[in-house]
This record gives sequence, structure tokens and C-alpha cells, in this order.
Amino acid sequence: MNRTDVLRHITSLRNGDPMIISPGLANYAIAEADEPLTIYNMDMPYATPMALGMALGWSTRRVISIEGDGSLLAGPGVLSTIARYQPKNLLIFVFDNGAYLTTGSGKAPTATVFGTDIEQLGRAAGLKNTRTVHDLDAAKSAVSAAFTEPGPWLVVAKIDKQDRPTERRPHSLPMYVYEAGLIFHRAVLQERSAKK
Amino acid sequence: MSKHQEVKTQASVANTGKAGVRYRQKALESFYEGFRAAGIDFAVFLPDSMLDGVEQLMIERGGIDTYQCSREDEGVAMAMGAFLVGKRPVALMEGSGIGMSALILARGIVQKTPTMLIIGHNSTLGERYDYHGATRLVAEPVLRALDIPHHVLFDPGDIRTVIVEAQATIEGQRLPFGVLVPSHVIREIGENR
Repeated sequence: MNRTDVLRHITSLRNGDPMIISPGLANYAIAEADEPLTIYNMDMPYATPMALGMALGWSTRRVISIEGDGSLLAGPGVLSTIARYQPKNLLIFVFDNGAYLTTGSGKAPTATVFGTDIEQLGRAAGLKNTRTVHDLDAAKSAVSAAFTEPGPWLVVAKIDKQDRPTERRPHSLPMYVYEAGLIFHRAVLQERSAKK
Repeated sequence: MSKHQEVKTQASVANTGKAGVRYRQKALESFYEGFRAAGIDFAVFLPDSMLDGVEQLMIERGGIDTYQCSREDEGVAMAMGAFLVGKRPVALMEGSGIGMSALILARGIVQKTPTMLIIGHNSTLGERYDYHGATRLVAEPVLRALDIPHHVLFDPGDIRTVIVEAQATIEGQRLPFGVLVPSHVIREIGENR
């Protein structure tokens, strides 16, 4: 299963929802939509904790965290905090390729290669809406369910490693990290004040 | 009380804490009043012995959505997420948690996503116990290394003003702000302890 195909399905359903993306190749596929409520390249392992704070602080809006297997495994304790508060508006999509793909050779495996099961970590923490998907049809079905049924959701997509670029990518994201907080925050305040 | 809050509260916060240690009820009230006056509406904490009285009072009084995290750096990230969606957050933790949080605090500085930090322990005053040696060493040095504005409380009478003015700096400068809380500020402690 290719990561980009799954991401395109997510972005087709997103409707401008706040999103935080952990480091890695997913950033470039999501950047095509250029949505202002996006935090790119969040330092590992803080995409999901920051998304959790957003979900708790803005309960009427869906909030999405895009994770890699390496980044989620760097801070799995957050799953227990999510289970404690059960925010219905939080969606976590984990792209599990079994490797630290963007580092060096890209050959260093993550623990999922040796049996660590991220979905089961979530279930053990207390999450109920969890799926592990191995092909695109199943992934689309799980993603659609996450966008329509109350969460919190943890969807683990087993993807291949074939999208590692052979050449260095240009910095083509629509905003720099040092702009991100200002752009995001301003867009939120405008949206929230418009709804009052 | 927050709809998410399931932590049981106690009738008298001042009587909680280690055996033989009492919180200064007025100090606890000053923290709560300061948060309310500063517009703080989102709090996240990892339980610690120094600030437990404040945290329990916040839960008891309500008016501030209060959440418990599993690690301090996770809590700082949660607070920053809350800021991004329009909240005025505070993260409460023992000083050791600042050591855990250096990277996410740095990220918050770079992307201009601040939070208030209330920090139990400090580098100099009232650090009686050997097992707080590492805690004492990390909090203020990390704040200094990241050039995060911070203030060590001394007089409990200053608590409310410091919190309100710290929030003014947070919003005006879009920087995190650390308020460090030595033991004597928040607890009734005899000179022989």
C-alpha cells in the first residue's frame, strides 16, 4: 500500500480540519492542499500530544494527527492520556512502514518489524476505535469510518517503503516552521470569531 | 468542573500532601485567582508533591478545564495545542519536567506557540532532599539555555500579580514563561524541616 494514496483519501475528507504532521514524507503529500490549519514537521514525538491539546480545546472541530511508526513509538504514553479523556474529535493515522525511512540509508527498522503492534498498544491503553489496515480498500474504509463515527480513532496503515525519494527533496512546504504558529493561530481566531 | 475531569477532589485542599506538611491555603487561592484573572482556561499537569494543592484546588473550583498527562513534555505539547486553538493554557509540573520538555519548549519558541509553566522546585531555596538533586539542576538551566523568561517566587503575596503579568508577557511576546515555586511559598514548613 502506498502512503500517498491513503493520504489523498484523508485530505479529500479533511474539509480544512486542524492537522499536525510528524516528521517525514507525509508532509509533502499533504502540503499539496495548502490548508492554513496545518502544522508541518512537528518534532518527534509531539504531533499527537499537540493534536490532543487542540482536540480538548476545540471540541466542536475534528483534529487530525498524522504519525509515523517511529514517532508514535517515541512517545506512546500519550495513548493512555487520550484513553483517559476519550476526545470524540481526535483522529490519529499512523503510517507504519517498519523503518526510520527518512534517516540516512532508511534501512534502520522500527520495533514494528520485530512484533510491536501499534494498534494493540492503543487498545491496551484503553482506545476502542482502532484498526490496522494492509491494503488501500481497507484503509479507505477505516479512514471514512474515522471521519464519520465518534472517536478517538487510531488507524494504523501498513505501507511500503517505496516512496523514499532517491534525490534530496526541495523545501517546498507552504510555510516555514517559524511562521506556523502565527498562521495557524490567526486562522483559528478568525474562524472562531466568525462563528460567534 | 471540566466534563473530562474524573479525578476525585478533597474537601480541604490545605490538608492534602505528605504527612506533616500543610499547604498555605492563601497561596493556593492566589494561584487560582491569578489564573482566573489572567484568563487561563486550560490547564494540564503531571501530579507532583509541590503543586498538588494547586492542581486539586483547580479541579475543585472548576472554571478552568484541567487535564492530567502522562509525561511533562506531553503536557507542554498539549498546552501548546490548546494555545493554537485559542485557549490560554498553563502547564504545571515538577522542575524535572522542564528537563524533559526542552525540545518541545524550543519548538514552541521557534513556531511562536507559548504556554505558561508553573514549576515546582528551583535551584537555590529549600531543596532539602537528595532525591531532588537532579530536579534542581535541570529546571532553571534549561529555561536560561532557551532564553525563556522566568521568575522565582519568594513572597506568597506576589503570586497573583506574577501570574497576571507573566500572561501579559506570554501574549505580548509570544514566548513561554516559567514561574518557579520554592517550597516555602506554597507550604507551611518549619525551620527544622
